[in-house]
Amino acid sequence: MGGDGAGRIVLEARGITKRFGTVVANDHVDLTIRAGELHAILGENGAGKTTLMRILFGELQPDEGEIYLNGQRVHFRSPRDALRQGIGMVHQERKLIPAHTALENIVLGHPKTRPILNLKEAERDVQALCERYGFRIPLHAKVWQLSEGEKQIVEIIKELYHGARILILDEPTSVLSPPEIVKLLESLTKMAKEDLAVIPFITHKLPVVLEYCDRVTILRRGRVVAEMETRQATEQTLASAMVGREVMLQLERVEVPLGEPVVQVQDLWVRDDRGLFAVQGLSFEIRAGEIFGIAGVAGNGQEPLAEALAGLRPVERGSITLSGRDITRAPVLERWRQGLGYIPTERRDVGSIPSFSLVDNVLLNYHFEPEFSQWGVLATGRARALTERILQEYSVVAAGPDAPARSLSGGNLQKVILGRVLSRRPRFLIACLPTHGLDVGAAEFVQQRLLDAKREGMAILLISEDLDEILALSDRIAAIYEGQFTGIVSAREATKELVGELMAGLRRERV
Amino acid sequence: MSSLLVISLAAAAVFAIAALGELLEQRAGILNVGLEGVMLLSGTFGFIAAKTSGSYLQGFTIAILTGALVGLLHGFFSITLGSNQVVNGMAIWILGFGLTTYIGYPYTGPLGLKPFPTLGGLPTFFVVALVLAVAIWFLLFKTHLGLKLRSVGENPSVAEASGISVTGMRYLAAALAGMLVGLGGAVYSLVYNPVWSYNYLQGWGFIALALVFFSLWNPFLVVAGAIFFGILWQLSLYPELLFPNIFSRYIWRAMPFVITILVFILLSTRWFRLRWGATKPEALGIAYERQG
Amino acid sequence: MRAVIGNYTIRIERRADLRWWHTVVASVLAILVSLFLVGFAFLRAGADPLEVYREIIAYAFVSSFGLPQTINRATFVLLAAFALIVPLRAGLWNIGMPGQLYAATLAAFGVAYAFGAKASVNAQLNGAIVIPLMVIAGLIASGLYGAIAGFLRGRLQVNEIVTTMMLNWAMLWIVAHMIREGGPFMGRTAEGEGFTLPTAIRMPQILGLPLTVYAAVLLALVLTWFLAKTTLGYRIRTFGESPRAAEYAGIDATRISTLVFVLGGMFAGLAGLHYFTGVPGVYKIPKNYGEFADFSFYGLITGLIARNNPIAAIPVAILFGGVSGGARFMQGKLRLAFGIDYALLGVLMIMMVAFQALAQYSVRIERAVTAPARQVGLERGESRVESPRH
Repeated sequence: MGGDGAGRIVLEARGITKRFGTVVANDHVDLTIRAGELHAILGENGAGKTTLMRILFGELQPDEGEIYLNGQRVHFRSPRDALRQGIGMVHQERKLIPAHTALENIVLGHPKTRPILNLKEAERDVQALCERYGFRIPLHAKVWQLSEGEKQIVEIIKELYHGARILILDEPTSVLSPPEIVKLLESLTKMAKEDLAVIPFITHKLPVVLEYCDRVTILRRGRVVAEMETRQATEQTLASAMVGREVMLQLERVEVPLGEPVVQVQDLWVRDDRGLFAVQGLSFEIRAGEIFGIAGVAGNGQEPLAEALAGLRPVERGSITLSGRDITRAPVLERWRQGLGYIPTERRDVGSIPSFSLVDNVLLNYHFEPEFSQWGVLATGRARALTERILQEYSVVAAGPDAPARSLSGGNLQKVILGRVLSRRPRFLIACLPTHGLDVGAAEFVQQRLLDAKREGMAILLISEDLDEILALSDRIAAIYEGQFTGIVSAREATKELVGELMAGLRRERV
Repeated sequence: MSSLLVISLAAAAVFAIAALGELLEQRAGILNVGLEGVMLLSGTFGFIAAKTSGSYLQGFTIAILTGALVGLLHGFFSITLGSNQVVNGMAIWILGFGLTTYIGYPYTGPLGLKPFPTLGGLPTFFVVALVLAVAIWFLLFKTHLGLKLRSVGENPSVAEASGISVTGMRYLAAALAGMLVGLGGAVYSLVYNPVWSYNYLQGWGFIALALVFFSLWNPFLVVAGAIFFGILWQLSLYPELLFPNIFSRYIWRAMPFVITILVFILLSTRWFRLRWGATKPEALGIAYERQG
Repeated sequence: MRAVIGNYTIRIERRADLRWWHTVVASVLAILVSLFLVGFAFLRAGADPLEVYREIIAYAFVSSFGLPQTINRATFVLLAAFALIVPLRAGLWNIGMPGQLYAATLAAFGVAYAFGAKASVNAQLNGAIVIPLMVIAGLIASGLYGAIAGFLRGRLQVNEIVTTMMLNWAMLWIVAHMIREGGPFMGRTAEGEGFTLPTAIRMPQILGLPLTVYAAVLLALVLTWFLAKTTLGYRIRTFGESPRAAEYAGIDATRISTLVFVLGGMFAGLAGLHYFTGVPGVYKIPKNYGEFADFSFYGLITGLIARNNPIAAIPVAILFGGVSGGARFMQGKLRLAFGIDYALLGVLMIMMVAFQALAQYSVRIERAVTAPARQVGLERGESRVESPRH
């Protein structure tokens, strides 16, 4: 795959070094990108990938080192500067304006765009580009109406429209379903063949790297630890180079006898923030000791479902029953008192308060309990004791219970939240993207705790964008697409391909 | 009755012009809750200039200039220093309210100039407001500059990545907004009610602010709302027109404020709040820091 | 930000750690600069600003007439500050203290009126019954008046700044109705002021100061404890820091919004009760009641300067109570234009915002390189030694 005659060198970085305070994010990194190739950059969280990319496209200035473009030494003062010289970047998080149309987003800021907008002319140019690379996008749709995959294409078109010849993509596959990933990579391969626009890659999806990319550079702790042709690599060698030790790629499955149904959801309909139905008639039940995983590409209704179950979003139609009690319209506190626990996706904006101490953060799920609120006064002593216990049990690295939550890393904060929720011994736990953004060590810890909870008879609803995680942890897996389940399969029958197709709406099973 | 309409439109002009200015600014992500202060300052300095020089032109010029300066001041705190925009707006309001009470006091009383000419029977500045509404609509939705302004208000980091100077755009918006709000303040003190007394604006700046919110950031809805409030206000001043001899005149003066609140309540339906959430410029009121 | 001038490099950067004393210094500077600027008004009147300030301080903090007046004014400002602080801790802006304080005042005078107090200053009324009733009526009225804004904000997301402003103006006109030409509370003189409270139902005094003064100081402590140590206080603070996290934690937005505005309204109401039923020499709703409405905005700036800390608000309130009162006194004495204390308020506010914003930045000046560079810390007395690179 990839362009043939991996030819002349178009982009070269030599000795790139960047420090943030005492942390060395990039340590004398060398990178060589050739025309017509897909060159992947691999590395764990914190290995320095993002910093390197930000330097390459002009958002950051390196402390040491040089960049050469087509043999000429260059110095990017800003992303705009880099773009002018032909380097485009597509970020992991969408950098589009949802309220504007795809076309408006593409032409924004382009020097060719006239003061009085002439969108027809622009449209012609953009259409030409789309045809050249085989993209199909409704240009006049508002961006918020597009799927994640389509949004990403819009960003790619935007960079190309602005003249990019080298395209850097940051985690391009993270929000895509397997079929969408295939489509994207085919387009990128075509681009590489087409007119030698080179595409460096950053990803930790190892099979993708092996199948589609020509070369790979691996970063670990800010340094380049390996650079090789993918022809000569295996998943194992890549993973080991990334982590620096032998890596276990499998989690241990846990078999637990299932108990009574704890949660029953009947024909649930929930609206999203725009008033459209994000959840369309879902029905399912979860038994004690069961992990029910929901696999789906972001934006297909998982979050509204979780929020509705947690009491943060009103239910339009349908019912939710917890241990026999109808909680469809129950206020949040009553649900927690009835044994619900919720780990929200956004740990810093919803799950915690960054400026509050850890004690005060633990109180978020305890302030209404009589032991912690006596005669209207907070039992801070008890809260502190609980916090200390959680810090210890979950091996949290923090200055102490009085440290502000913002001083904790993502992994440690997540551990505190997990500990806080689990210490309540809920009957039903909703875990939304519990390992999102965590490094391998922290993610493993969280996953293990979920398995422990399952062993103790908790019913768990697991929502995750990591298909491997869902497959590894869940007893049953429901694929969600546009607010409906396209299939519910048991872990035994589930394969990545099957679930991937269900997630993408390409197939439907009887539910 | 028709003269009532004419005065209502004059009042509407004040609301509309000031609100249009703030609309522009909010579309770029800047929130200024201190419109009352901007209008008081521009209206007072404009009044003083007009009274001492005898010229409307001087009055309006000074007012617009004052508005621009105050707008830029608010912009400086909000954009460059990045501090809380609501606090900054409050500061502008108190500054305006406090300073103009002292500075304007010696000029208490009528302006004493010939009434400002009308345009074909309509208040001139109402026509100006209409033209402004169209101009702003065109600017925001049909020009590249407008697209840039809106993008800065929706997602500044995207705008920056597209080669737009967020700071520059926002300062531009703040200056333009200041000028318009200043003009609105001058229309009040020079044309609509050309008599200076301390705190003469009676909350109209806050109503203009509310108008921006309730218009869902649409210039034409701003004008429609302004007309509504203009009529409302006139009725409160001349209640005998509709309801002779009920309530003392003080209670009538209190009515429009009460009715304004009622209007807000009636508008804030679930449907409206949904639309409001969707049309609100996403980055409104949030300071932007360049990375890097 | 970096500027190079000759041999020197000036670096302006956002501070990584903002200490509490940075903001204290900022507040002090803001106050001093404001006083300096307002001094120009005295200069224009041909007086020496330093002399004027000396007289103001002497009047407000030393003289036997001025000092009690300062304390009474300070109490008013302090209570108005609490009216701002409580909702602000929940992230909501209460600028409705003028309306709320008069809601309480009208209610209290309404109770007095119901007991026949309008008839004569010597009316024989039972203070032990009527006074508490007046206070309760006042607190209920102001609490409810505040609750309107809070409830609308919580339930319908109607912007509370605009609502409270509208409520202010409405109430001011209602007061006019009550005390002017033919209104029910009109005083004997028929000059646009309210009737005078009979001696029997005036707020009791201790050491010549109305009870409300002591109550205010006590409330500062109670409020601090309330916010820090009680569950309700925790919920208020949580909601103020992050409404989304509060929702996650099961904290009801409507209830909290309404609650903080009830409390805020009550504090403002207490300010009204203090001044109009408690301050010697007043005991009525005066003709210039609008100026008291404006004066309550000193509470706004006091709360902000004190960074939402009720106890820190005490010295600030005393300062503003005294200086504003002294300024009015000098305004009369020097025959200055009306509004010196207003000008001071305006300048104070903008200076405070400016200095608080500037406190977020540190300025360092480096000398360029021939010798190993030394940095001279400028602002806030910082100094550090570092190498020239970086």
